[in-house]
Amino acid sequence: MSFLFQERFLRILFIVSVILMAVNLYAIFFIAPMVPEQHWAQKIFYVHVPIAWSSFLSYFIVMVSGILFFIKKDSYWDRVGLAAAEIGTLFVALVLITGPIWATPIWGKPWIWEPRLTTTLILFLIYIGYFMLRKFGGHPERVARYAAILGILAFLDVPLIFYSVKFWAPQYQLHPQVEMNQQPDEILLPFFFSMFTFTILYILMLRIRVKISNFQYKLKTKNV
Amino acid sequence: MFITLLKKELFVELRNKEVILSMLAFGLTVLLIFSFSLSGNPKINHEMAPGLFWTLVVLSSSLGLHRLFGQEKDFDAFASLLSAPIDRGTLFLAKWISGFLFLFLIEILIVLPFFLFLGLSQPMSYFPGIGIVMLGNLGIVAVGVIVSGMAMRAKMSAVLLPVLLFPLLTPLLIACVKATTGWYHLIPFSNWQFWVLIMATYVVIFGLAGYVFFEHITEE
Repeated sequence: MSFLFQERFLRILFIVSVILMAVNLYAIFFIAPMVPEQHWAQKIFYVHVPIAWSSFLSYFIVMVSGILFFIKKDSYWDRVGLAAAEIGTLFVALVLITGPIWATPIWGKPWIWEPRLTTTLILFLIYIGYFMLRKFGGHPERVARYAAILGILAFLDVPLIFYSVKFWAPQYQLHPQVEMNQQPDEILLPFFFSMFTFTILYILMLRIRVKISNFQYKLKTKNV
Repeated sequence: MFITLLKKELFVELRNKEVILSMLAFGLTVLLIFSFSLSGNPKINHEMAPGLFWTLVVLSSSLGLHRLFGQEKDFDAFASLLSAPIDRGTLFLAKWISGFLFLFLIEILIVLPFFLFLGLSQPMSYFPGIGIVMLGNLGIVAVGVIVSGMAMRAKMSAVLLPVLLFPLLTPLLIACVKATTGWYHLIPFSNWQFWVLIMATYVVIFGLAGYVFFEHITEE
C-alpha cells in the first residue's frame, strides 16, 4: 500500500479528499435545509447527482482514452480506459441504488422507465459486456483494441439511448427538472460543494487505480 | 473489390447455408414459442405485433451474426483474407451488406408464418414496412458485424455476442418498434417520422464506426 502514497501529489489529494468529504457530509446533514415535500429523501440528491456526474465523466474519459490509445499507440491509455471504466461502473451502480432509494418515497415506486434512469441502466449493461470482453476477449493486445472501440461506441450510443427512451415513454418525464438558478443559496452551495468533493474523490480514485495498473503492467513486463 | 468480396460472402453462404439455416430454424422455433405463450387473442397480438416481430428479428440475428465469421474462424481463413491487399473498411462493407441480405431473406421467409401463427391482419400497404425493416436490418447488422468481429476469437463468444449486442441495439430497437407500430397501426407518418430519423442516425453512426474501426477489429 505504501507505494501508492510515495507520490506527493497523491498524498495531498488523499488528505484533501478526506477533509472535503467530512465537510461535505456535515454540510449535507446539518447545513442544507430540509425541502418541505421531500424531507430526508431529498438529502440523497447531494450524493446521487454528484455520483451520476462523476460516472458520466468517467465514461467520457473511457472514450477519450480509447481515442488516445489509437492515436498514440501506447498501452498507458488502455490502462487509463480500464481504470475509468471500473470506477465509472462502480459509480453507475451507486446511481442505480441511490436513485430508487429516492424514488420509492417520492414516486411511490422504486423503478420507472424514465430516460435518465434507463440510459444509466443501459450504459451499465453495456459496461458489463465491456468487462466480459476484457475477461474473455483473448490476447491482451487485441482486448485493449476492442475495449477502446467499445468505450467509444458506448459513448456515441448515449444520446441515441437518451432521446429514444425520452420519446418512447413521454409519460415518464418524472426526473426532477431542477432549475438551478432558482434554488436558494442554502441548497446551491452544499450541492456545488458536493459536486466538487466527488470530482476530487473521483480524480483520486482514478489516479490510484491507474498507478496500480501501471505497477501490474511493469511486473508483467518485468521492468521492475 | 467490394463486389468481389460480397460475391465471396454470398457464394460461401449459398454453398453451406450456415447463417441462413441457423437464423431460419431459430426464428421459427421462437415464433412457435410466441404462439403458445401469448393469449391467442388476435386483438392483443395485433397490438403487440411490432414488438414481437423485432424481438424475433433480434434474437434470430444474434444467432446468424455469431456465424458470420464462422467459416473464417473454423478454417482459419481470416488470416489469409487479411494478408490480401484489401482495405479493411471494404471487408466490413461486404460483411455488412451480405449480413443485411441474409437477414432480409429470413424476414421474407418468416413474415408469412408470423402473420399466420399469430392470427394477424395484413397491413394496408407493404412499402413503408419494407423500408422500415431494411433500415432496421442495416442498423442491427452494422453493430452485429462489429461485435461479432470482436467476439469471434474470444472464449465464450456465443455468450459474449448477445451480451454486447443487445444493450448497444436498445435505441435502434425502440425506434424500429415505434416506426413499425406507426406503419402497421396506420398512424400518420408525421407522428413517427422522428423514429425513422433515429434509425437513420443510428445506421450512419454505426456504419461509419464499423468502416473506420474494422481495421483494428480484424488486426491479429
